[in-house]
Amino acid sequence: MTFTEFMIIYLLCLATMLVCRVAPIFILKGRQIPEKLERALKLIPPAAFAALVANDLLSPDMFAEGLTQGLIPLISAAIVVVVARVSGSLIWCALAGVGAFAALTFLLL
Amino acid sequence: MSGKEALKDAFAAAIPVMAGYVGIGIPCGIMESQIGMNALMAFVMSMTFYSGAGQFMIPNMWLAGSPLMSIVASVSFVNTRQILYSAAFAPFFDKVRKSKTFLFAATVTDESFGVNMAKFQEGSWDENRATFVNLLSMTSWGVSNAIGVLIGDALAIPTVIAAFAMTSIFICLLSTQKMDKINVIVIVVSMVAVYFFKLVGLAGPAILLGACTGVAAGLAAWMVDKR
Repeated sequence: MTFTEFMIIYLLCLATMLVCRVAPIFILKGRQIPEKLERALKLIPPAAFAALVANDLLSPDMFAEGLTQGLIPLISAAIVVVVARVSGSLIWCALAGVGAFAALTFLLL
Repeated sequence: MSGKEALKDAFAAAIPVMAGYVGIGIPCGIMESQIGMNALMAFVMSMTFYSGAGQFMIPNMWLAGSPLMSIVASVSFVNTRQILYSAAFAPFFDKVRKSKTFLFAATVTDESFGVNMAKFQEGSWDENRATFVNLLSMTSWGVSNAIGVLIGDALAIPTVIAAFAMTSIFICLLSTQKMDKINVIVIVVSMVAVYFFKLVGLAGPAILLGACTGVAAGLAAWMVDKR
């Protein structure tokens, strides 16, 4: 990749990213928000977290390399849910998740 | 509250994200080195564009021979989910200066959105601490990418395992949401919708489309309940 090619990709991606990141907050900030929209905004966090988790864990080809490979992230995720309910700590969840994933990969594959 | 106290609180909140970014940022830098990016380019890109998914996609697509504009379109499409995050933060920035709002909004990612939103929902957070969380996470990401470029492929980090730290953070944030009837509908519909959009070949915008479908379902349930 030449420097010019890099700059074209970088600057165009940066521009679209900045619009997506900055425009909505400035459009909505300080305005009287209708009740329905306010309710919708409050639903974004659970929807976004669920979508991010599903995006990482679920895909149509998740069992393509075998049942065990497909189950490792799901079992690790179940362990993280238990740790989250008990501790509510991000760092413990991250450690438990990576530890479970690594241990299952080592033991089962 | 002093700036020092805000930074201390932000550091405590950001540390899981920062640690996870080291695990993913170094392999990302290794990939960037394979398409000829140097450490400065990787650092500048990480500190401005700042997108894990996007920065993994660029070298992947380039090495696969994708046209330049196709890379830009795909990366931009994947990052449209930022629209939702930005909108969700708007009520918390009503009285915040424009320059501060810009700095905060321009440095949000999936992970810092999660950490900051959870803190704002608890009612124990403000724009200074939220912005520090973003900047600390971004610095960790930028430095890790630059280190990845510098070491090249001398260090083999299993990306799949390291990336599960981020998945675990999202699971924790999801598990600590209030589980009332409407939120459960939102969560289930969002997850099913993400799977569906991937199934029909819309993997790029699956997060945005899935989350929007979940919000629409939750809103419909709320309106039915209200009648």
